[in-house]
Amino acid sequence: MVPVATTRVRQAPAQFAGLVWTLIRTDFKTRYHGTIGGFVWALLKPLTMFLVLLAVFSYVFAGDPQYKLDLIIGLFLYEFFQESTKAGLLSIRAKGYLLTKARFPSWIVVVTSASNAVITLALFSVVLVMFLSVTGRAPSPAAVALYATYQVLFVAMVAGFSLAASVLFMRYRDLNQVWEVVTHAGFFIAPIIYPLGILPERLHGYLYIWPPTPIILFSRSVLIDGRTPSPLAHALLLLETAVVLGAGVLIYRARAPRVAEQL
Amino acid sequence: MAPVIEVTGVSKSFTIPSVRRETVREHALDLFRPRANERLRVLDSVSFELRRGESLGLMGRNGSGKSTLLKIVSGIYPADEGRVDVRAALTPILELGVGWNPDLDAIDNIELLGTVMGLTLRELRAATHEILEFAELQKFAHLELRHYSSGMAARLAYAVAFRAVREILILDEIFAVGDAGFKERCQSRYREMHRAGHSMLLVSHEPRTIAAFCERALLLEGGRIVMAGPAEAVADRYLTLLTEEQPAVPHPVAG
Repeated sequence: MVPVATTRVRQAPAQFAGLVWTLIRTDFKTRYHGTIGGFVWALLKPLTMFLVLLAVFSYVFAGDPQYKLDLIIGLFLYEFFQESTKAGLLSIRAKGYLLTKARFPSWIVVVTSASNAVITLALFSVVLVMFLSVTGRAPSPAAVALYATYQVLFVAMVAGFSLAASVLFMRYRDLNQVWEVVTHAGFFIAPIIYPLGILPERLHGYLYIWPPTPIILFSRSVLIDGRTPSPLAHALLLLETAVVLGAGVLIYRARAPRVAEQL
Repeated sequence: MAPVIEVTGVSKSFTIPSVRRETVREHALDLFRPRANERLRVLDSVSFELRRGESLGLMGRNGSGKSTLLKIVSGIYPADEGRVDVRAALTPILELGVGWNPDLDAIDNIELLGTVMGLTLRELRAATHEILEFAELQKFAHLELRHYSSGMAARLAYAVAFRAVREILILDEIFAVGDAGFKERCQSRYREMHRAGHSMLLVSHEPRTIAAFCERALLLEGGRIVMAGPAEAVADRYLTLLTEEQPAVPHPVAG
Protein backbone atom coordinates (compact mmCIF):
# COMPACT_ATOMS: atom_id res chain seq x y z
CA MET A 1 0.00 0.00 0.00
CA VAL A 2 1.31 3.43 -0.92
CA PRO A 3 1.55 5.78 2.05
CA VAL A 4 -1.04 8.54 2.23
CA ALA A 5 0.51 11.94 1.69
CA THR A 6 -0.79 15.28 0.60
CA THR A 7 1.47 18.21 -0.09
CA ARG A 8 0.95 21.11 2.30
CA VAL A 9 0.63 24.58 0.84
CA ARG A 10 1.67 27.19 3.38
CA GLN A 11 -0.11 30.49 3.74
CA ALA A 12 1.94 33.67 3.62
CA PRO A 13 1.66 35.87 6.75
CA ALA A 14 -0.29 38.55 4.83
CA GLN A 15 -2.82 35.94 3.62
CA PHE A 16 -3.18 34.52 7.13
CA ALA A 17 -3.62 37.96 8.71
CA GLY A 18 -6.16 38.95 6.05
CA LEU A 19 -8.17 35.79 6.64
CA VAL A 20 -8.19 36.20 10.44
CA TRP A 21 -9.13 39.87 10.22
CA THR A 22 -11.91 39.21 7.68
CA LEU A 23 -13.40 36.40 9.78
CA ILE A 24 -13.41 38.60 12.89
CA ARG A 25 -14.75 41.65 11.07
CA THR A 26 -17.54 39.80 9.25
CA ASP A 27 -18.55 37.95 12.45
CA PHE A 28 -18.82 41.26 14.24
CA LYS A 29 -20.75 42.82 11.38
CA THR A 30 -23.12 39.86 11.07
CA ARG A 31 -23.89 39.87 14.78
CA TYR A 32 -24.98 43.49 14.84
CA HIS A 33 -26.52 43.39 11.38
CA GLY A 34 -29.82 45.24 11.35
CA THR A 35 -29.67 46.40 14.97
CA ILE A 36 -30.43 49.99 15.86
CA GLY A 37 -27.08 51.63 16.47
CA GLY A 38 -25.13 48.71 14.96
CA PHE A 39 -21.49 48.84 15.99
CA VAL A 40 -22.16 51.53 18.57
CA TRP A 41 -24.49 49.17 20.42
CA ALA A 42 -21.75 46.54 20.44
CA LEU A 43 -19.42 48.99 22.14
CA LEU A 44 -22.06 50.34 24.51
CA LYS A 45 -23.39 46.95 25.60
CA PRO A 46 -20.79 46.22 28.28
CA LEU A 47 -21.00 49.77 29.61
CA THR A 48 -24.79 49.89 29.76
CA MET A 49 -25.00 46.38 31.26
CA PHE A 50 -22.44 47.32 33.86
CA LEU A 51 -24.29 50.48 34.82
CA VAL A 52 -27.69 48.78 34.92
CA LEU A 53 -26.44 45.90 37.06
CA LEU A 54 -24.56 48.32 39.32
CA ALA A 55 -27.68 50.44 39.83
CA VAL A 56 -29.92 47.45 40.52
CA PHE A 57 -27.47 45.64 42.81
CA SER A 58 -26.62 48.88 44.68
CA TYR A 59 -30.27 49.07 45.61
CA VAL A 60 -30.87 45.37 46.30
CA PHE A 61 -27.59 44.73 48.15
CA ALA A 62 -27.21 48.17 49.72
CA GLY A 63 -25.82 46.65 52.92
CA ASP A 64 -22.96 44.80 51.23
CA PRO A 65 -21.17 46.99 48.64
CA GLN A 66 -18.49 44.36 47.93
CA TYR A 67 -21.06 41.71 47.00
CA LYS A 68 -22.47 43.72 44.09
CA LEU A 69 -19.01 43.99 42.46
CA ASP A 70 -18.31 40.30 43.05
CA LEU A 71 -21.64 39.50 41.45
CA ILE A 72 -21.06 41.74 38.43
CA ILE A 73 -17.61 40.24 37.77
CA GLY A 74 -19.00 36.72 38.13
CA LEU A 75 -21.94 37.40 35.82
CA PHE A 76 -19.82 39.03 33.09
CA LEU A 77 -17.11 36.39 33.11
CA TYR A 78 -19.67 33.59 33.07
CA GLU A 79 -21.55 35.21 30.21
CA PHE A 80 -18.29 35.38 28.27
CA PHE A 81 -17.76 31.67 28.92
CA GLN A 82 -21.29 30.72 27.82
CA GLU A 83 -21.27 32.88 24.71
CA SER A 84 -17.78 32.02 23.49
CA THR A 85 -18.08 28.25 24.03
CA LYS A 86 -21.44 28.18 22.26
CA ALA A 87 -20.01 30.10 19.29
CA GLY A 88 -16.96 27.80 19.24
CA LEU A 89 -19.04 24.63 19.34
CA LEU A 90 -21.12 25.74 16.36
CA SER A 91 -18.27 27.37 14.44
CA ILE A 92 -17.35 24.64 11.94
CA ARG A 93 -20.97 23.90 11.20
CA ALA A 94 -21.68 27.61 10.73
CA LYS A 95 -18.71 28.21 8.44
CA GLY A 96 -18.86 24.88 6.65
CA TYR A 97 -19.61 26.58 3.37
CA LEU A 98 -16.09 28.01 3.39
CA LEU A 99 -14.37 24.75 4.33
CA THR A 100 -15.67 22.89 1.28
CA LYS A 101 -14.43 25.52 -1.14
CA ALA A 102 -10.75 25.81 -0.44
CA ARG A 103 -8.05 24.33 1.68
CA PHE A 104 -7.26 26.41 4.72
CA PRO A 105 -6.79 25.53 8.38
CA SER A 106 -10.24 25.16 9.91
CA TRP A 107 -8.89 25.93 13.40
CA ILE A 108 -8.82 29.60 12.35
CA VAL A 109 -12.61 29.51 12.01
CA VAL A 110 -12.94 27.91 15.46
CA VAL A 111 -10.59 30.25 17.29
CA THR A 112 -11.90 33.45 15.68
CA SER A 113 -15.48 32.48 16.57
CA ALA A 114 -14.84 33.77 20.10
CA SER A 115 -13.89 37.23 18.82
CA ASN A 116 -17.24 38.90 19.54
CA ALA A 117 -17.24 37.61 23.11
CA VAL A 118 -13.58 38.60 23.57
CA ILE A 119 -14.32 42.16 22.42
CA THR A 120 -17.19 42.40 24.94
CA LEU A 121 -14.98 40.97 27.70
CA ALA A 122 -12.19 43.43 26.94
CA LEU A 123 -14.57 46.39 26.98
CA PHE A 124 -16.14 45.20 30.23
CA SER A 125 -12.69 44.91 31.77
CA VAL A 126 -11.87 48.50 30.77
CA VAL A 127 -15.18 49.74 32.22
CA LEU A 128 -14.59 47.79 35.45
CA VAL A 129 -11.06 49.09 36.01
CA MET A 130 -12.19 52.65 35.24
CA PHE A 131 -15.08 52.34 37.69
CA LEU A 132 -12.77 51.05 40.42
CA SER A 133 -10.34 53.89 39.74
CA VAL A 134 -12.93 56.67 39.93
CA THR A 135 -14.46 55.23 43.12
CA GLY A 136 -11.13 55.29 44.91
CA ARG A 137 -10.40 51.55 44.69
CA ALA A 138 -7.92 51.69 41.82
CA PRO A 139 -6.20 48.32 41.41
CA SER A 140 -2.41 48.35 41.19
CA PRO A 141 -0.76 47.85 37.79
CA ALA A 142 0.35 44.40 38.97
CA ALA A 143 -3.25 43.49 39.84
CA VAL A 144 -4.46 44.65 36.43
CA ALA A 145 -1.68 42.66 34.74
CA LEU A 146 -2.66 39.53 36.71
CA TYR A 147 -6.33 40.07 35.86
CA ALA A 148 -5.40 40.36 32.15
CA THR A 149 -3.34 37.16 32.42
CA TYR A 150 -6.32 35.29 33.90
CA GLN A 151 -8.47 36.42 30.98
CA VAL A 152 -5.83 35.24 28.50
CA LEU A 153 -5.85 31.84 30.20
CA PHE A 154 -9.66 31.87 30.15
CA VAL A 155 -9.61 32.51 26.37
CA ALA A 156 -7.08 29.67 25.97
CA MET A 157 -9.40 27.29 27.84
CA VAL A 158 -12.34 28.41 25.69
CA ALA A 159 -10.22 27.82 22.57
CA GLY A 160 -9.34 24.31 23.78
CA PHE A 161 -12.97 23.48 24.46
CA SER A 162 -14.09 24.97 21.15
CA LEU A 163 -11.53 23.02 19.11
CA ALA A 164 -12.75 19.73 20.55
CA ALA A 165 -16.46 20.57 20.63
CA SER A 166 -16.57 21.96 17.08
CA VAL A 167 -15.37 18.68 15.55
CA LEU A 168 -17.36 16.47 17.95
CA PHE A 169 -20.49 18.44 17.11
CA MET A 170 -20.21 17.18 13.53
CA ARG A 171 -20.75 13.66 14.90
CA TYR A 172 -23.05 14.40 17.83
CA ARG A 173 -25.61 16.85 16.54
CA ASP A 174 -27.29 17.42 19.89
CA LEU A 175 -24.04 18.39 21.60
CA ASN A 176 -25.08 22.04 21.62
CA GLN A 177 -28.20 21.18 23.63
CA VAL A 178 -26.19 19.04 26.03
CA TRP A 179 -23.69 21.88 26.46
CA GLU A 180 -26.50 24.37 27.09
CA VAL A 181 -27.75 22.20 29.96
CA VAL A 182 -24.19 21.84 31.31
CA THR A 183 -23.53 25.60 31.24
CA HIS A 184 -26.86 26.33 32.93
CA ALA A 185 -26.02 23.86 35.69
CA GLY A 186 -22.45 25.19 35.72
CA PHE A 187 -23.73 28.65 36.58
CA PHE A 188 -24.56 27.29 40.02
CA ILE A 189 -21.35 25.27 40.29
CA ALA A 190 -19.25 28.42 39.83
CA PRO A 191 -19.42 30.65 42.92
CA ILE A 192 -21.14 33.53 41.15
CA ILE A 193 -24.15 34.24 43.33
CA TYR A 194 -22.82 32.63 46.51
CA PRO A 195 -19.44 32.83 48.25
CA LEU A 196 -17.28 29.71 47.97
CA GLY A 197 -16.91 29.70 51.76
CA ILE A 198 -20.47 28.54 52.39
CA LEU A 199 -19.62 25.14 50.88
CA PRO A 200 -17.62 22.46 52.75
CA GLU A 201 -13.89 22.86 52.09
CA ARG A 202 -13.55 19.30 50.81
CA LEU A 203 -15.69 20.30 47.78
CA HIS A 204 -13.64 23.33 46.80
CA GLY A 205 -11.07 21.35 44.81
CA TYR A 206 -13.81 19.84 42.65
CA LEU A 207 -15.38 23.23 42.00
CA TYR A 208 -12.04 24.58 40.78
CA ILE A 209 -12.06 22.00 37.99
CA TRP A 210 -14.93 23.92 36.35
CA PRO A 211 -12.91 26.51 34.34
CA PRO A 212 -14.94 29.63 35.21
CA THR A 213 -14.48 29.01 38.97
CA PRO A 214 -10.76 29.80 39.34
CA ILE A 215 -10.95 32.64 36.81
CA ILE A 216 -13.85 34.34 38.60
CA LEU A 217 -12.38 33.86 42.07
CA PHE A 218 -8.86 34.96 41.11
CA SER A 219 -10.18 37.98 39.17
CA ARG A 220 -12.21 39.13 42.17
CA SER A 221 -9.30 38.47 44.45
CA VAL A 222 -6.80 40.70 42.63
CA LEU A 223 -9.18 43.48 41.59
CA ILE A 224 -11.58 43.79 44.52
CA ASP A 225 -9.83 42.25 47.54
CA GLY A 226 -6.30 43.30 46.56
CA ARG A 227 -5.01 39.81 47.36
CA THR A 228 -2.83 37.75 45.05
CA PRO A 229 -3.58 34.01 44.92
CA SER A 230 -0.74 31.74 46.03
CA PRO A 231 1.93 30.48 43.58
CA LEU A 232 0.44 26.99 43.99
CA ALA A 233 -3.00 28.29 42.98
CA HIS A 234 -1.45 29.93 39.91
CA ALA A 235 0.42 26.73 39.04
CA LEU A 236 -2.83 24.75 39.23
CA LEU A 237 -4.59 27.28 37.02
CA LEU A 238 -1.79 27.01 34.45
CA LEU A 239 -2.00 23.22 34.62
CA GLU A 240 -5.78 23.30 34.14
CA THR A 241 -5.40 25.62 31.13
CA ALA A 242 -2.72 23.37 29.62
CA VAL A 243 -4.89 20.27 30.08
CA VAL A 244 -8.02 21.84 28.55
CA LEU A 245 -6.11 23.39 25.64
CA GLY A 246 -3.97 20.28 25.08
CA ALA A 247 -6.97 17.94 25.12
CA GLY A 248 -8.82 20.24 22.74
CA VAL A 249 -5.92 20.34 20.29
CA LEU A 250 -5.51 16.55 20.38
CA ILE A 251 -9.21 15.86 19.76
CA TYR A 252 -9.29 18.48 17.02
CA ARG A 253 -6.20 17.07 15.30
CA ALA A 254 -7.66 13.56 15.37
CA ARG A 255 -10.99 14.53 13.83
CA ALA A 256 -10.40 17.67 11.78
CA PRO A 257 -8.98 16.03 8.62
CA ARG A 258 -12.33 14.35 7.93
CA VAL A 259 -14.58 17.15 9.08
CA ALA A 260 -15.26 18.44 5.53
CA GLU A 261 -16.77 15.03 4.70
CA GLN A 262 -19.36 15.51 7.44
CA LEU A 263 -20.56 18.92 6.31
CA MET B 1 10.04 18.63 -15.83
CA ALA B 2 8.13 17.22 -12.83
CA PRO B 3 4.34 17.37 -13.10
CA VAL B 4 2.62 20.02 -10.93
CA ILE B 5 0.14 17.45 -9.64
CA GLU B 6 0.99 13.80 -9.26
CA VAL B 7 -1.72 11.44 -8.02
CA THR B 8 -0.59 7.89 -7.30
CA GLY B 9 -2.91 5.02 -6.36
CA VAL B 10 -5.51 7.15 -4.59
CA SER B 11 -8.46 5.28 -3.13
CA LYS B 12 -11.35 6.62 -1.12
CA SER B 13 -14.32 4.97 0.56
CA PHE B 14 -17.18 6.35 2.58
CA THR B 15 -18.84 4.46 5.39
CA ILE B 16 -22.58 4.07 4.99
CA PRO B 17 -24.07 2.86 8.31
CA SER B 18 -27.23 0.75 8.23
CA VAL B 19 -28.65 2.96 10.98
CA ARG B 20 -27.59 6.54 11.39
CA ARG B 21 -26.64 7.71 14.87
CA GLU B 22 -26.17 11.44 14.97
CA THR B 23 -26.80 12.46 18.55
CA VAL B 24 -25.35 11.78 21.97
CA ARG B 25 -28.70 10.28 22.91
CA GLU B 26 -28.73 7.85 19.95
CA HIS B 27 -25.15 6.77 20.64
CA ALA B 28 -25.93 6.20 24.32
CA LEU B 29 -29.16 4.26 23.72
CA ASP B 30 -27.67 2.08 20.96
CA LEU B 31 -24.33 1.52 22.67
CA PHE B 32 -24.57 -2.27 22.70
CA ARG B 33 -26.73 -2.73 19.63
CA PRO B 34 -24.67 -3.98 16.68
CA ARG B 35 -24.69 -1.82 13.59
CA ALA B 36 -23.69 -2.99 10.14
CA ASN B 37 -21.57 -0.63 8.08
CA GLU B 38 -21.17 -0.71 4.35
CA ARG B 39 -18.10 0.82 2.75
CA LEU B 40 -18.80 2.57 -0.51
CA ARG B 41 -15.61 2.71 -2.54
CA VAL B 42 -15.79 5.92 -4.52
CA LEU B 43 -12.23 5.95 -5.88
CA ASP B 44 -10.12 2.89 -6.58
CA SER B 45 -6.38 3.26 -7.18
CA VAL B 46 -6.60 6.40 -9.27
CA SER B 47 -3.32 7.65 -10.72
CA PHE B 48 -2.67 10.54 -13.08
CA GLU B 49 -0.52 13.61 -13.46
CA LEU B 50 -1.09 17.19 -14.49
CA ARG B 51 1.87 18.63 -16.38
CA ARG B 52 2.97 22.23 -16.07
CA GLY B 53 0.94 24.48 -18.39
CA GLU B 54 -1.38 21.65 -19.40
CA SER B 55 -5.18 21.72 -19.53
CA LEU B 56 -6.44 18.31 -18.45
CA GLY B 57 -10.11 17.33 -18.69
CA LEU B 58 -11.93 14.97 -16.34
CA MET B 59 -15.14 13.32 -17.46
CA GLY B 60 -17.44 10.77 -15.95
CA ARG B 61 -21.05 10.10 -15.18
CA ASN B 62 -22.77 11.22 -12.00
CA GLY B 63 -21.43 9.15 -9.12
CA SER B 64 -18.23 8.21 -10.92
CA GLY B 65 -16.09 9.94 -8.26
CA LYS B 66 -15.13 13.18 -10.03
CA SER B 67 -16.07 15.55 -7.22
CA THR B 68 -14.42 13.38 -4.58
CA LEU B 69 -11.25 13.24 -6.66
CA LEU B 70 -11.20 17.03 -7.06
CA LYS B 71 -11.66 17.49 -3.31
CA ILE B 72 -8.82 15.09 -2.56
CA VAL B 73 -6.51 16.82 -5.03
CA SER B 74 -7.51 20.19 -3.52
CA GLY B 75 -6.72 18.90 -0.01
CA ILE B 76 -10.30 19.26 1.24
CA TYR B 77 -10.79 15.49 1.73
CA PRO B 78 -7.99 13.14 2.82
CA ALA B 79 -7.33 10.03 0.73
CA ASP B 80 -7.62 6.59 2.39
CA GLU B 81 -4.71 5.27 0.37
CA GLY B 82 -2.31 6.68 -2.15
CA ARG B 83 -0.34 9.82 -2.59
CA VAL B 84 -1.12 13.31 -3.85
CA ASP B 85 1.82 15.60 -4.59
CA VAL B 86 0.94 19.17 -5.42
CA ARG B 87 4.03 21.14 -6.44
CA ALA B 88 2.55 24.60 -6.95
CA ALA B 89 -0.09 26.82 -5.34
CA LEU B 90 -3.53 25.60 -6.23
CA THR B 91 -6.90 27.33 -6.52
CA PRO B 92 -9.96 25.10 -6.49
CA ILE B 93 -13.21 26.45 -7.90
CA LEU B 94 -15.68 24.01 -6.41
CA GLU B 95 -19.29 24.27 -5.23
CA LEU B 96 -19.24 27.98 -5.77
CA GLY B 97 -22.94 28.34 -6.45
CA VAL B 98 -23.78 27.79 -2.80
CA GLY B 99 -22.59 29.12 0.50
CA TRP B 100 -22.46 32.79 1.27
CA ASN B 101 -23.08 34.86 4.32
CA PRO B 102 -26.56 36.16 3.44
CA ASP B 103 -26.37 39.03 5.95
CA LEU B 104 -23.32 40.58 4.32
CA ASP B 105 -23.21 42.57 1.10
CA ALA B 106 -21.26 41.60 -2.01
CA ILE B 107 -18.11 43.49 -1.00
CA ASP B 108 -17.86 41.78 2.40
CA ASN B 109 -18.56 38.40 0.84
CA ILE B 110 -15.88 39.04 -1.79
CA GLU B 111 -13.39 39.63 1.05
CA LEU B 112 -14.57 36.54 2.94
CA LEU B 113 -14.34 34.19 -0.03
CA GLY B 114 -11.24 35.84 -1.46
CA THR B 115 -9.21 35.58 1.76
CA VAL B 116 -10.29 31.94 2.15
CA MET B 117 -9.01 31.35 -1.39
CA GLY B 118 -5.63 32.80 -0.49
CA LEU B 119 -5.77 36.45 -1.59
CA THR B 120 -4.49 39.20 0.69
CA LEU B 121 -6.78 42.07 1.66
CA ARG B 122 -4.62 44.46 -0.33
CA GLU B 123 -5.01 42.33 -3.47
CA LEU B 124 -8.73 41.98 -2.90
CA ARG B 125 -9.38 45.66 -2.34
CA ALA B 126 -7.48 46.49 -5.50
CA ALA B 127 -9.50 43.91 -7.44
CA THR B 128 -12.99 44.51 -6.04
CA HIS B 129 -14.09 46.74 -8.91
CA GLU B 130 -12.79 44.27 -11.49
CA ILE B 131 -14.55 41.36 -9.73
CA LEU B 132 -17.88 43.17 -9.63
CA GLU B 133 -17.47 44.19 -13.25
CA PHE B 134 -16.68 40.62 -14.35
CA ALA B 135 -19.84 39.43 -12.58
CA GLU B 136 -21.83 42.43 -13.90
CA LEU B 137 -22.92 43.26 -10.37
CA GLN B 138 -21.51 46.77 -9.86
CA LYS B 139 -24.99 48.12 -9.17
CA PHE B 140 -25.57 45.54 -6.45
CA ALA B 141 -22.26 45.87 -4.62
CA HIS B 142 -23.93 46.99 -1.39
CA LEU B 143 -26.89 44.64 -1.58
CA GLU B 144 -26.95 41.81 0.94
CA LEU B 145 -26.51 38.38 -0.60
CA ARG B 146 -29.91 37.23 0.70
CA HIS B 147 -31.45 39.38 -2.03
CA TYR B 148 -29.33 37.87 -4.83
CA SER B 149 -30.69 35.28 -7.24
CA SER B 150 -28.77 32.00 -7.42
CA GLY B 151 -27.36 33.02 -10.79
CA MET B 152 -26.08 36.35 -9.45
CA ALA B 153 -24.46 34.61 -6.47
CA ALA B 154 -22.78 32.05 -8.72
CA ARG B 155 -21.46 34.77 -11.05
CA LEU B 156 -19.99 36.62 -8.09
CA ALA B 157 -18.34 33.43 -6.83
CA TYR B 158 -16.73 32.65 -10.17
CA ALA B 159 -15.55 36.24 -10.52
CA VAL B 160 -13.79 36.04 -7.13
CA ALA B 161 -12.34 32.63 -7.90
CA PHE B 162 -10.98 33.70 -11.29
CA ARG B 163 -9.24 36.61 -9.56
CA ALA B 164 -7.78 34.28 -6.91
CA VAL B 165 -6.09 31.97 -9.39
CA ARG B 166 -2.59 30.80 -8.47
CA GLU B 167 -0.46 28.48 -10.58
CA ILE B 168 -2.91 25.59 -10.75
CA LEU B 169 -6.63 25.94 -11.32
CA ILE B 170 -9.17 23.22 -10.57
CA LEU B 171 -12.61 23.85 -12.02
CA ASP B 172 -15.87 21.98 -11.60
CA GLU B 173 -18.47 22.67 -14.31
CA ILE B 174 -17.24 26.20 -14.72
CA PHE B 175 -19.03 26.92 -17.98
CA ALA B 176 -22.47 25.89 -16.77
CA VAL B 177 -23.20 29.16 -14.95
CA GLY B 178 -24.85 32.35 -16.07
CA ASP B 179 -26.13 33.60 -19.39
CA ALA B 180 -24.38 33.37 -22.75
CA GLY B 181 -22.44 36.57 -22.12
CA PHE B 182 -21.09 35.42 -18.78
CA LYS B 183 -20.17 32.00 -20.19
CA GLU B 184 -18.27 33.71 -22.98
CA ARG B 185 -16.36 35.84 -20.45
CA CYS B 186 -15.51 32.74 -18.40
CA GLN B 187 -14.30 30.94 -21.49
CA SER B 188 -12.09 33.79 -22.65
CA ARG B 189 -10.67 34.18 -19.11
CA TYR B 190 -9.93 30.45 -19.13
CA ARG B 191 -8.08 30.71 -22.46
CA GLU B 192 -6.21 33.76 -21.21
CA MET B 193 -4.99 31.90 -18.13
CA HIS B 194 -4.05 28.85 -20.16
CA ARG B 195 -1.99 31.01 -22.52
CA ALA B 196 -0.34 32.59 -19.49
CA GLY B 197 0.96 29.16 -18.52
CA HIS B 198 -1.46 28.13 -15.76
CA SER B 199 -2.08 24.41 -15.34
CA MET B 200 -5.76 23.46 -15.38
CA LEU B 201 -7.83 20.50 -14.28
CA LEU B 202 -11.30 20.89 -15.73
CA VAL B 203 -14.35 18.75 -14.94
CA SER B 204 -17.28 18.83 -17.30
CA HIS B 205 -20.17 16.69 -18.45
CA GLU B 206 -20.10 18.48 -21.75
CA PRO B 207 -17.92 16.66 -24.35
CA ARG B 208 -17.62 19.78 -26.54
CA THR B 209 -16.19 21.74 -23.62
CA ILE B 210 -13.56 19.11 -22.88
CA ALA B 211 -12.66 18.77 -26.56
CA ALA B 212 -12.41 22.53 -27.02
CA PHE B 213 -10.50 23.48 -23.86
CA CYS B 214 -8.29 20.51 -22.99
CA GLU B 215 -5.33 18.80 -24.62
CA ARG B 216 -5.71 15.55 -22.69
CA ALA B 217 -8.56 14.04 -20.70
CA LEU B 218 -9.36 11.24 -18.28
CA LEU B 219 -12.56 9.21 -18.15
CA LEU B 220 -13.61 8.12 -14.68
CA GLU B 221 -16.07 5.27 -14.33
CA GLY B 222 -17.02 3.46 -11.12
CA GLY B 223 -14.14 5.13 -9.29
CA ARG B 224 -11.47 4.02 -11.78
CA ILE B 225 -9.80 5.77 -14.67
CA VAL B 226 -10.95 3.72 -17.65
CA MET B 227 -9.43 5.89 -20.33
CA ALA B 228 -6.72 8.51 -20.60
CA GLY B 229 -5.75 10.16 -23.85
CA PRO B 230 -6.40 12.98 -26.29
CA ALA B 231 -9.37 15.08 -25.15
CA GLU B 232 -11.46 14.50 -28.27
CA ALA B 233 -11.09 10.71 -28.09
CA VAL B 234 -12.04 10.67 -24.39
CA ALA B 235 -15.05 12.92 -25.08
CA ASP B 236 -16.20 10.49 -27.81
CA ARG B 237 -15.76 7.51 -25.46
CA TYR B 238 -17.78 9.34 -22.80
CA LEU B 239 -20.65 9.83 -25.25
CA THR B 240 -20.57 6.11 -26.08
CA LEU B 241 -20.60 5.30 -22.38
CA LEU B 242 -23.72 7.41 -21.85
CA THR B 243 -25.62 5.35 -24.40
CA GLU B 244 -24.63 2.02 -22.82
CA GLU B 245 -27.38 0.34 -20.82
CA GLN B 246 -25.61 -0.70 -17.64
CA PRO B 247 -24.57 2.28 -15.51
CA ALA B 248 -21.45 1.58 -13.54
CA VAL B 249 -21.86 2.61 -9.91
CA PRO B 250 -19.27 2.65 -7.15
CA HIS B 251 -19.00 -0.81 -5.69
CA PRO B 252 -19.45 -1.56 -2.00
CA VAL B 253 -16.61 -3.36 -0.27
CA ALA B 254 -16.60 -5.31 2.93
CA GLY B 255 -16.67 -2.91 5.87
